[in-house]
Amino acid sequence: MTTKKIKTVWVWTAMIALALSIPLTALAAGIGKEGRIVNKKGKANTIAELVAMYDSSSCIECHQEIHDDWALSVHSRSIYGTGRTAATFRTSVVNGLQEWAFSGVKGPKDVQVEHLMGCAKCHLPQLADANDSVAKELIASIYNWMDAVRAGNDKVRIVEENKLKSLNINCLVCHNRNAITHKWTDGYPQKGVVYGSTDGEHPSDAFPTMKKSAIMGESILCGQCHGLGPNLELDNPTQCATLYGSYLWSYTAEGGRETCQECHMRKSGLGHNMQSYRDPGLAEAALDFKVQTSGFHWRDASNIRPYVAVDISMTNKAGHVIPDG
Amino acid sequence: MPIPQQFARGDRMGRGPYEKSGLISETSLHPGKTKKEHFEIFYPEGLTDLDVTVKLWYLPYGTMASDPFLWREVNKSVSISKEGK
Ligand code: HEC
Ligand code: HEC
Ligand code: HEC
Ligand code: HEC
Ligand code: HEC
Repeated sequence: MTTKKIKTVWVWTAMIALALSIPLTALAAGIGKEGRIVNKKGKANTIAELVAMYDSSSCIECHQEIHDDWALSVHSRSIYGTGRTAATFRTSVVNGLQEWAFSGVKGPKDVQVEHLMGCAKCHLPQLADANDSVAKELIASIYNWMDAVRAGNDKVRIVEENKLKSLNINCLVCHNRNAITHKWTDGYPQKGVVYGSTDGEHPSDAFPTMKKSAIMGESILCGQCHGLGPNLELDNPTQCATLYGSYLWSYTAEGGRETCQECHMRKSGLGHNMQSYRDPGLAEAALDFKVQTSGFHWRDASNIRPYVAVDISMTNKAGHVIPDG
Repeated sequence: MPIPQQFARGDRMGRGPYEKSGLISETSLHPGKTKKEHFEIFYPEGLTDLDVTVKLWYLPYGTMASDPFLWREVNKSVSISKEGK
């Protein structure tokens, strides 16, 4: 009797699951999504799980120099930034989400992944592979960090700072997750593959395959995060970096032909340490700055007054507007 | 500097990336373009030699109070004739 009942229940559950799975698969556009890192590992529930999902520490033993260069770039702490980035995430909650009548956010505990994607689409694109608990943990960590800074509590400050700095744009973001922009054309990035400039074997246990990414040497690889203008796909558009827009419509439009990689990684000699004007070489390369002076005696109706004219001419030699903002 | 509009409406500037959308005004340096500035300075009374310092500052937050960055500095000595009428 009892066994029969259980069996019927089981059959019914199986049939409901089957019925549900058909429309779900039909709805998910694109082929090959199931091979992505997030589909293999499942969405992250904590910051630690999200960090583990794209953990790039195994790359260091063989790519030490690239890692050390990358660690000097702000990509290595794209949520913490110079401290200002993390602080502005908090402002976005307090002066943005909480003030807006229709955001559904009354306090930091109401923040969901979708609320943060207006920033994370560029500062931490892999946040899309996490559940809302990670959005709440991230905001709590930023609040704790700022409170600790204000209270001079170094112990808490350092713990939170390290947590925030563990979230970044690392090897696997550029060489796996975001290495393919046109996924219906080139396929979805697959677990176990590092995308670079060649196809072949890759001597790493966790990433045994190397594949060519069609965009690794193209400006759009960087452009996908360096902004065009307002991010209009969002329910509440944000705007931060707009430099890729300037690259397309000002630099390329006027005949500029170099890629981001040519200027920032090769000619600069900085490789993975991508930098702005804070690097003296780039500050020098950015601008032709000429100053001409001429002194003379000015004469009006009755007075002679010595006078100097200063003429300044500035030509931007970068591949985009300076400054970005 | 790009001067973004607040929520893409009206005449107020937005500062935070959560409220910025569009542009009200734009005074950045554009690639390949030359921008010229002209200044006229009278010598202080009685002087005929003047040291002129030209500094190009970047003010990411719009004032000298927060994180100003000196991009260029050029010094020139300008002398004019001491005789004549
Ligand atoms: C055991 C050593 C080892 C480890 C670990 C390792 N790599 Fe590599 N990797 C190599 C070697 C060697 C090559 C060059 C292979 C060749 O050119 O035949 C390479 C090539 C690459 C390339 C392609 C370069 C190109 O030609 O464009 C990328 C991208 C890359 N690795 C990324 C990574 C990332 C990301 C990790 C960590 C997840 C990693 N590697 C871990 C040894 C390693
Ligand atoms: C379109 C991609 C993109 C979006 C969306 C975006 N950012 Fe940014 N953000 C960048 C890039 C790239 C930089 C740095 C380079 C630059 O300014 O050109 C940056 C710089 C910043 C800076 C300046 C850091 C410093 O130390 O000067 C802050 C603060 C910041 N972002 C916060 C945010 C917040 C908060 C949000 C969401 C409300 C957000 N950003 C949305 C791409 C983006
Ligand atoms: C912001 C995106 C980005 C990040 C982060 C990044 N890379 Fe790269 N990487 C690139 C690009 C773009 C190229 C191609 C450069 C070129 O075209 O000259 C490249 C090239 C490479 C190459 C082959 C060429 C070379 O320089 O030897 C290897 C190997 C590599 N990366 C490994 C890594 C490792 C390991 C990490 C993490 C420590 C990493 N990359 C982080 C964008 C990135
Ligand atoms: C996954 C998104 C992403 C990709 C891909 C990416 N960037 Fe960035 N980049 C950022 C973000 C976000 C920041 C700012 C982080 C901060 O300050 O908080 C940044 C910062 C920078 C900076 C420093 C800006 C400053 O004001 O100091 C440079 C330079 C830069 N990126 C160049 C590049 C280049 C060149 C590429 C391509 C090879 C690239 N980036 C690819 C997101 C990205
Ligand atoms: C012709 C060379 C050249 C090209 C092409 C180029 N850059 Fe730059 N870039 C520079 C120089 C020089 C600077 C230093 C000036 C500065 O920081 O404002 C710079 C600065 C930057 C900054 C810092 C902006 C700021 O507000 O200070 C970012 C971010 C950046 N580049 C990203 C990119 C990306 C992304 C691309 C491709 C879409 C790109 N660059 C293409 C030369 C170039």
